[in-house]
Amino acid sequence: MLQQLANGVFTGSIYALFAIGFTLVFGILRHLNLAHPAVFTAGAFVGIEVATRTAIPVWILFPVVAVFGALAGVLVERIAFRPLRGRDDEHFAGLISSVALGGVVIALLQARYGTEPQSFPREYFPNQLFEIAGIRVTLTQLVTLGLALVLMLGLAWLVSATSLGRAMRAVAENPTAAQVVGVNVGWVTAGTYAMSSALGTVAGALLALNLGQAGRDLGASIELVGFAVIILGGLGSLWGAMAAGVILGLAEALTITYFDSTWKGLVAFALLFAVLVLRPRGLFGHVKVREV
Amino acid sequence: MSEPILSVESVHVSYGRVQAVRDVSFDVPEGGLVALVGANGAGKSSVLAAVSGLVRPASGRILLEGRDVTRWPAHRRVGAGLVLVPEGRQILGTLTVAENLRLGAQRRRRQAAPESEMYELFPVLAERRDLPASALSGGEQQMLAIARAMIAKPRVVLLDEPSMGLAPKMCDEVFAVIEQIRASGVTVVLVEQNARRALRAADTGHVLETGAIAHGGPASELLQDPRVVKAYLGVE
Repeated sequence: MLQQLANGVFTGSIYALFAIGFTLVFGILRHLNLAHPAVFTAGAFVGIEVATRTAIPVWILFPVVAVFGALAGVLVERIAFRPLRGRDDEHFAGLISSVALGGVVIALLQARYGTEPQSFPREYFPNQLFEIAGIRVTLTQLVTLGLALVLMLGLAWLVSATSLGRAMRAVAENPTAAQVVGVNVGWVTAGTYAMSSALGTVAGALLALNLGQAGRDLGASIELVGFAVIILGGLGSLWGAMAAGVILGLAEALTITYFDSTWKGLVAFALLFAVLVLRPRGLFGHVKVREV
Repeated sequence: MSEPILSVESVHVSYGRVQAVRDVSFDVPEGGLVALVGANGAGKSSVLAAVSGLVRPASGRILLEGRDVTRWPAHRRVGAGLVLVPEGRQILGTLTVAENLRLGAQRRRRQAAPESEMYELFPVLAERRDLPASALSGGEQQMLAIARAMIAKPRVVLLDEPSMGLAPKMCDEVFAVIEQIRASGVTVVLVEQNARRALRAADTGHVLETGAIAHGGPASELLQDPRVVKAYLGVE
C-alpha cells in the first residue's frame, strides 16, 4: 500500500512538472500552448541523444535539456503565437497554430529518430535500489522527485519574489499597464515561454529516464492526464498544478492496486468530471474577469 | 530660448480607417506645463498614446531631448524618462501598492527615487503599502498611478485625465500634486477635460478639435479667448 502511494507520488511529480509549464504560459499570457506535449517529447529524445553521444553525467544532462527547451519555447512563441498577435481571435488562432506546430515537431522527431523508440544507453544511470521505511525506491525516482520539487519551488519563488516575476504578474493582469510602467512585454513573453518549455523538456527527459526509453507518442501518453491535472488544479494556478499532479498520480496508483491498470484513465477523468461539476474553477483556481 | 525637451512634429494617428490625430505639432519647454484640452474624442489621449509609445503614429516624429524616439517601444521611452500616467489609472490591482511602486522604478533603477520618498509624498500609500492596489479608493489609486510614475524620476511626465471620475475634493488634491510635480522641475504634459482647471495650471495650452489643434498659445490668453470660452469653458 505505502509502496503504491510512493509510486503514485513519483508519477505525479512528472505530471505536475509537465502541467506547471503549460499552466504558466496560460496564467501569464492566456495562451493555450498545445505544442507543449510535442516539446515534452522532444526533450526526451534530445536527452537520450545527448546522453548517448557524450555520456555526460545526469546532473549536466538536465541543464543541457533545459537550455534546449528554453530555446524551443522561444521558437514556439515566435512561430505559433507572435504572428497572430493583435488579431481578434488571437487566443483561439494560437491554440490551432500550436497544435499544427506540435505536429510538425513530432514529424521532425520521426524524421531524425525513426519510428522505433529510443533508449538511454544501458548503465547510463545507476538504477540503485534503496529501501526507506519498507518502501523500495530507485535512484531515478529519487532524482525525479528531487528535481521536480526544486524546479517547482524555484518557479514559485521566481514568480512571487523576483523583479522578473513581478513583471510577469503585471503582464498577466494587464499587458498595457505593464508596458506603461516600462515592462518589456516582448521579453517577458519570451522568458515565460522559455521557462515553460524548459520545464516541459526536463519533464520529458525525466519520464524517459524512468521508462529507460522514449517513443514519439511519449507526449501523447501524458497529454490528456496532463491537461486533466491543469484543469483539476485550476488553469493558471502553479500550486494547483503541483497538488493536482500528485493527486492524479496517487489516484492512478490506487486504481492499479485495487482494480486494474485498464481503469486508471477512467479514474483520472472521473475525478476531473467530479471537480468540474462541483468546483468549476478547479481546486485552486480563482475566477478572474479579464479587462476589456 | 533653449531647445524644447519634447517636440511633437506633425503627428498623425489612425486606428484602422479612423483618423484620430491629424497633423498635431507642439513643443514642450523644459520645466514647463503644457495642457491639451478639448472635447471627448478630440484625440487628446491618442496624442499621449503616440508620445508614450503605446501606438505608433502613421507619420510624424516625436523628439525627446533632441533624440528621435518615434520608433522606440514604450518601455525604452520609460527608460529615457518619458513616463505616462494613463487614463483610468491602470494600476495593477493584484499586485501590492509597494510592488506597483517597485515596478515603476524597475526600468530606471539608477535614477529612481527610494520607495520611502514616495511614501513621504503620499502618506496614504504608506499605510496601505502591503495591500493589493485594488483595495485602494479611486482617488488613492490615482495617487498610486502618479507615484508609480514619479518614483522613476521622469524627465517628462504625461498625465492623461488625472481628475477623471474623482470627487471634487480629490480633484483638488490631484491638482495640488501636479503643482508639486512642476515645482520640483519635472516637465508635465497634462490632458484634461476640465479645461479651465488645466489651463489655469498650465503655461501653454492647445485646444484639440476632431484630431487637430484648433487654438494654441499661452494658457492665460486661451482662458480669455472668446472662442475657447464659448466652446470649452462656459460661463463661470
